[in-house]
Amino acid sequence: MQSLTTPLLLIFALAVIGYFLAKSRALKVAGGDVRALVSLPNQHALNTALSTAVPPAAAVLLFALYARLSEGEPNWLFSLVILGLGVTGCALSLIGIKTETRARTYAERWILGLLIFASSIAIMTTVGIVFSMLFETFNFFGQYDWRDFFFSLTWSPNFRGDSDLGIIPLLWGTLYVSFIALLFAVPIGLFAAIYLSEYAGPRLRSVAKPAIEVLAGIPTIVYGLFALITVGPLLRDYFAEPMGFGQSASSVMTAGLVMGIMLIPFVSSLSDDIINAVPQAMRDGSLGLGATPSETIRQVVIPAALPGIVGAVLLAASRAIGETMIVVLGAGAAARLSLNPFEAMTTVTVKIVSQLTGDTDFASPETLVAFALGLTLFVITLGLNVFALYIVRKYREQYE
Amino acid sequence: MEDLTHVDRAMSTAQDIKISAKGVQVHYGDNHAIKDVNVEIDDKTVTAFIGPSGCGKSTFLRCINRMNDTIDVARVTGDIRIDGEDIYDPKVDPVQLRAKVGMVFQKPNPFPKSIYDNVAYGPKIHGLARNKADLDEIVEKSLRKAALWNEAKDRLASPGTGLSGGQQQRLCIARAIATAPEVLLMDEPCSALDPIATAQVEELIDELRQSFSVVIVTHSMQQAARVSQKTAFFHLGNLVEYDDTDKIFTNPQDPRTESYISGRIG
Repeated sequence: MQSLTTPLLLIFALAVIGYFLAKSRALKVAGGDVRALVSLPNQHALNTALSTAVPPAAAVLLFALYARLSEGEPNWLFSLVILGLGVTGCALSLIGIKTETRARTYAERWILGLLIFASSIAIMTTVGIVFSMLFETFNFFGQYDWRDFFFSLTWSPNFRGDSDLGIIPLLWGTLYVSFIALLFAVPIGLFAAIYLSEYAGPRLRSVAKPAIEVLAGIPTIVYGLFALITVGPLLRDYFAEPMGFGQSASSVMTAGLVMGIMLIPFVSSLSDDIINAVPQAMRDGSLGLGATPSETIRQVVIPAALPGIVGAVLLAASRAIGETMIVVLGAGAAARLSLNPFEAMTTVTVKIVSQLTGDTDFASPETLVAFALGLTLFVITLGLNVFALYIVRKYREQYE
Repeated sequence: MEDLTHVDRAMSTAQDIKISAKGVQVHYGDNHAIKDVNVEIDDKTVTAFIGPSGCGKSTFLRCINRMNDTIDVARVTGDIRIDGEDIYDPKVDPVQLRAKVGMVFQKPNPFPKSIYDNVAYGPKIHGLARNKADLDEIVEKSLRKAALWNEAKDRLASPGTGLSGGQQQRLCIARAIATAPEVLLMDEPCSALDPIATAQVEELIDELRQSFSVVIVTHSMQQAARVSQKTAFFHLGNLVEYDDTDKIFTNPQDPRTESYISGRIG
């Protein structure tokens, strides 16, 4: 793509020049009286600039796709083609400037096209991710029985072959850690949100809310370190050992607890916004009937805000399921099926990383399993998100 | 009509004073919203508060059940007594007071619950029903009083927010009377309703007078004339005139009252 830099810069310069040319030409056509024009000079200028820049840009994108498929290289001919497109677009729209030209409509159409393009990129990326995972997953299931993958209770990869690649211990670890994380994050986050939105004064709120949100800005690796050197040993020395649960510093509990702390701002910040959106008339109605503030919150405000709160919790759950760093450092890397929260376990994401790091051969089932794991995880979080959306939509606007 | 108001007036003068306010002042931050208001409101009477927007009539209404407590910057001084008991006494629990003084708001605000649960909300909180049958009875009685029973009896489990605007407001009235209050405060209860729903609610207010002392804030002078026996005219935070409704509307003493009811100010 090196050779395309110059033509693209030229096109950009042409668009800028076209902008100003169109503006002055529109004024000249109007004879100095802007009111004689159907569209304003600015709209003519915008139309010219967009007509100059967009078709070449689209051509480059299409070519990039084509080149990817056919291993083609951009040559001087292609550079000429996109330059020609830009010059033609610029010239046509400049010639087209007359008093009755509806440049406003044309410019609006260009902008609409750009907006649609931007939205489709987001969607196409999702589709692209799914497909890239699907291909490799199919490869994996060509070499490894899907029944063993989904139903085997052991995970012991080994690169000599004959590995057991059962997802269940990993899935169990993921769900166990996430469950403990939510067990901490949901009540604490929700209560913090209730306090901030219903009881705290505006000044305390303006300080406390950003302070809680700082937690969301801490990199997860730092949380991982916190789990590794502080929380893990603390839990081992004061809970696990005295109570006879084991001697492991890395444990589901450590990772879950620290991950819970990380999730607090997700729950509290979203819930706080949602609780604030409950109309004051609801609270007045309840207080006016002689309900106490806490009765009002429990029986009127929370039910009214529930869909949003559920959405916030499910979003936090998606985060918890996809979290890696805290688990690596907090819960360890041993795949194990156990109920004891003070034992080391591991999650799907950690195993994806460990299967793909180091010298790996991209054809063996031991590596390809990472894609099957990733796809499974993706399907689970996608399902959670869809469910969250469904809940939010179903119960939204019950008030009003 | 003339005869009827006559009888009403004779009735109301025979009754006791339910609410008495002396020297009430309300400040919202720096804004002096209510200036030295003295008023005595009779039991089993509909009293209307009229006046231009921002004159303090709603603010004063919210003093009677201490709803102004929920606004941080509001400060109320003076003396308001219900049945001779100072409601701003530190010993009085505003929560209990509000159970005794019900309130209906300007915009219908049913809770996002079923019709049944909306009405049962107050009785449940205050423990007015010993069992489910008791509660059913309270709900039915309140809905009947609010003239909503026939429309709602087959859909008690459906959400209160699914009712029409007028039905919602009657649901809010049913909800307020289910707690068996002694005073019912209504803050422009018909301003969001169409004329038919308004007529229904007005009819209802007239019936409620038999059980409660009703105080209604309204922008419509016709409404005040139709439903109330006593009228108070507020202007710029002052209580300008307070008298029998027909006297206010036919023979006002204060020139400001006369200007307002004849449409020259407000």
